[in-house]
Amino acid sequence: MHTRDEQLAVERLLRPHFDRLYRLAYRLTGNRHDAEDLFQDVLVRAFDKLDVIASLDDPGSWLGRVMYNRFVDGTRQRARRRLVVVADGEMSGDGVEGLPGPVSAELDASRVESLRSLHTALGKLSDEHRIVVLLHDTEGYKIKEIEELTGIPAGTVKSRLHRARARLRELLEKDGTEPAP
Amino acid sequence: MTNPTDNERELMAEDAELVLLLKDYPMQEASANFYDKALLSAASTSARRQRNRWLMTGFGGAIAAGIVAWLIGGVMLTAPDAVSPEIPGVAIALEDTHQVDFVFASAKPLDNATLTIELPDGVELQGFPGQREVSWETSLDAGKNHLPLTLIATRAVDDEVVVARLEHNNRSKTFRLRVDAS
Repeated sequence: MHTRDEQLAVERLLRPHFDRLYRLAYRLTGNRHDAEDLFQDVLVRAFDKLDVIASLDDPGSWLGRVMYNRFVDGTRQRARRRLVVVADGEMSGDGVEGLPGPVSAELDASRVESLRSLHTALGKLSDEHRIVVLLHDTEGYKIKEIEELTGIPAGTVKSRLHRARARLRELLEKDGTEPAP
Repeated sequence: MTNPTDNERELMAEDAELVLLLKDYPMQEASANFYDKALLSAASTSARRQRNRWLMTGFGGAIAAGIVAWLIGGVMLTAPDAVSPEIPGVAIALEDTHQVDFVFASAKPLDNATLTIELPDGVELQGFPGQREVSWETSLDAGKNHLPLTLIATRAVDDEVVVARLEHNNRSKTFRLRVDAS
């Protein structure tokens, strides 16, 4: 980036995708620390490919695919070792204990309890099942979008979604949680 | 098209309830100003990579200067500046060893830091049988410092937490790792 105008052009090109990209990073990694690392990694790569991105009709999809591939590469390298740094005395921050982030104040206690159980159950799913169910059911990705993002055939995505939901139902049932509407 | 059976209807209803619950599943927003910092950092890194091809212009220099100032003004132990209530976890087979890799990132070298590992009943650190707390002094290099620790579960544990605390000059950072063993 050499000029202020160029910098602004880059921001206009990339920034509209940041929220969706961060959400994807979070759903892939499961915590803010790793999500921000992954996001940063993808952004650095995006800066190296600005010419390519500028020529694309849908830069967001390109960025998402790069992110997914970087996540998979990183996961293979790190296996399943994930740690989160927290500052002392700050555990009771914005979030709700046992949940990854803040919940709507409109949710009643039993709903929050159900979400806690869901959080625990999601932690027991394999990465491939958890990611599919979170992208589809939580983030609203369509099957086709998940196929394009991950390179996994739509049929396999559907199958994983089905199995992930079944496993979640089983875990919630075992936990005594009925996912009340 | 055939009509769904009662069992299929029941499953569809359960799916619908589960999907509604999943839609409420929360997440943490990015840290304050993270996007701005990420852009700045990406611009700087990219510029560094292309230094051999491109001359750094005044704007690029300004970005680099901004990064340096940010590091100097930053906290000594680099870590997310807000809370992450989620605790990551590992599952360990009973009586089996499991290596976890703690990463301590520091903006500059630290001498005489104290590292303390607190272990729940039923989880031991290899080489320290029966000890619930292990503490030692250590030094950190600038950047990421990896500390591989080998955990052993001596009995079944459910949702217990291993704590790793790094202290230096009245500052501390704590890592928490949830452990299940069966």
